[in-house]
Amino acid sequence: MGSRWTRLVLVSLVLLGLQTTVLNDMRPFNVMIPVMLLFAVTAGTLYGSEIGAISGLIIGVMYDCVLSTPLGLASLVFGAAAYTAGLLPFFVREPTWWTRAITIGIVGAVGELAFPLAQSMVGLSGRFQAHVFVVVAFVVVVGMLVAPLLLPVCRWTLKESLVG
Amino acid sequence: MALLVLSSIILVTLDLQGSTATKSLRSIFGTVFRPVESVARVITRPATNAWFGITHYNDVTAENELLREKIAQQEGAAVAAAASVRLSQELLALNGLPTLAGINSVSAQVIGDSPSNFAQSVEIDQGTESGIKVGMPVLNAAGLVGKITQVFANRAVVMLITDPQYALSVKIINAPKTTVTTVPNPESTSAVTIVSVPETIDPQITVPTVPATSNIAGFTPGSIAAPRTPIISSSLTIPPGSNVSVRETGILEGRGAGRVPTVRFVDAAQRFGVVQPGSPIVTAGGSLSLAPPDIVVGTVSRVKERLGTAGPLLEIDIVADLSNLSFVRILLYQPITERTAP
Repeated sequence: MGSRWTRLVLVSLVLLGLQTTVLNDMRPFNVMIPVMLLFAVTAGTLYGSEIGAISGLIIGVMYDCVLSTPLGLASLVFGAAAYTAGLLPFFVREPTWWTRAITIGIVGAVGELAFPLAQSMVGLSGRFQAHVFVVVAFVVVVGMLVAPLLLPVCRWTLKESLVG
Repeated sequence: MALLVLSSIILVTLDLQGSTATKSLRSIFGTVFRPVESVARVITRPATNAWFGITHYNDVTAENELLREKIAQQEGAAVAAAASVRLSQELLALNGLPTLAGINSVSAQVIGDSPSNFAQSVEIDQGTESGIKVGMPVLNAAGLVGKITQVFANRAVVMLITDPQYALSVKIINAPKTTVTTVPNPESTSAVTIVSVPETIDPQITVPTVPATSNIAGFTPGSIAAPRTPIISSSLTIPPGSNVSVRETGILEGRGAGRVPTVRFVDAAQRFGVVQPGSPIVTAGGSLSLAPPDIVVGTVSRVKERLGTAGPLLEIDIVADLSNLSFVRILLYQPITERTAP
């Protein structure tokens, strides 16, 4: 089904649909699960820094289009987070599913923390509040729990095909 | 990685400069994404409903009881309030002053919240085709909700008044403080009479015991005021003629999710007096303000005194319930400073 990038755009559209509807409504502890960010980080852990960064950029631009923050901010954060997650093989020689899950949780939380930081850098102040720590703690846990679902989806999405 | 950073920075720069390319990209993506989101909403609605059923059932039943009680209380007050509003609008119109009734508006449905843990905004289903422009004030049945920050053909983004980026000039209407005096009833040893008297006004002057006369035909000041010494054993509030609400302007600023907005730059002037919790807050209006005057925003919930000339910091309770927005009204109002030449 087309190239890996076509599949990435289509799968990301579906995930964005879930992000803006059900995940936006269901907010445990008043925190939304950032599934788009976690998906970008998953791409990094599975396919390395380069593929991760490009995937993060594409997913981030799509996410940017539904946000009111400046276009490019989410793509920068998502790309950087996915790139960082792609450095996993430098620390773990043969990553297993659970080391990947831990990486997704931690790097996802760092990415979520970087989002208000990036917003502050373009003049959108006031985003750093005590609630940020709840968000980070929640994203670490949820990232690890959601990772087993995201890993096979991302593996299928970004698998190399004859066209891609 | 360098390419990623470079492309992102270019996109951010273009967007912050108000590039038409980024606006078009958002608009096109919105058109493509809208059907996907609608399908996702329909498919996931049972899951969402189940979630709300599990997490909010007790809250909903408690809220229902509270609302029934409130409706019963407010039914009577609403009739009197409607009459007062009508009278006020007639007076404003008579004096050639702008009123909310004279401003056209567009109704819209809220179709989604901001999919972010940090921004406070909602999306509505009306856009430029309905005449909506950036900066227009958005309200619901209760009061001010926010302002339009992005607008597309058939949708627009509303920044809520709780967003840290939101600021608006407002007026605080400070009612003179009343004190409750307990007076022993001469006719009974057990019953007492309660009289509320405005604190700033000397009852000896404003509440004469003998009706006075005036130069205005048919008008006798103080003729309806009660005497200083109460005789009947019932609650009585004396409304003297000089007991007029005093206004002061300040700046309302949002502070993010879960935190109430604040009002600052309030000058504790002598005539204005001390701000009291419960004082209503309405928009100030004016040629530089994005909202017309006298839209209800909320009431003062807490007054934080600050040192020096900083003046008090007011925390406010917003009258509009921003967590349950379904339908909103956009006032087609643009101040003179925002109008572009044709």
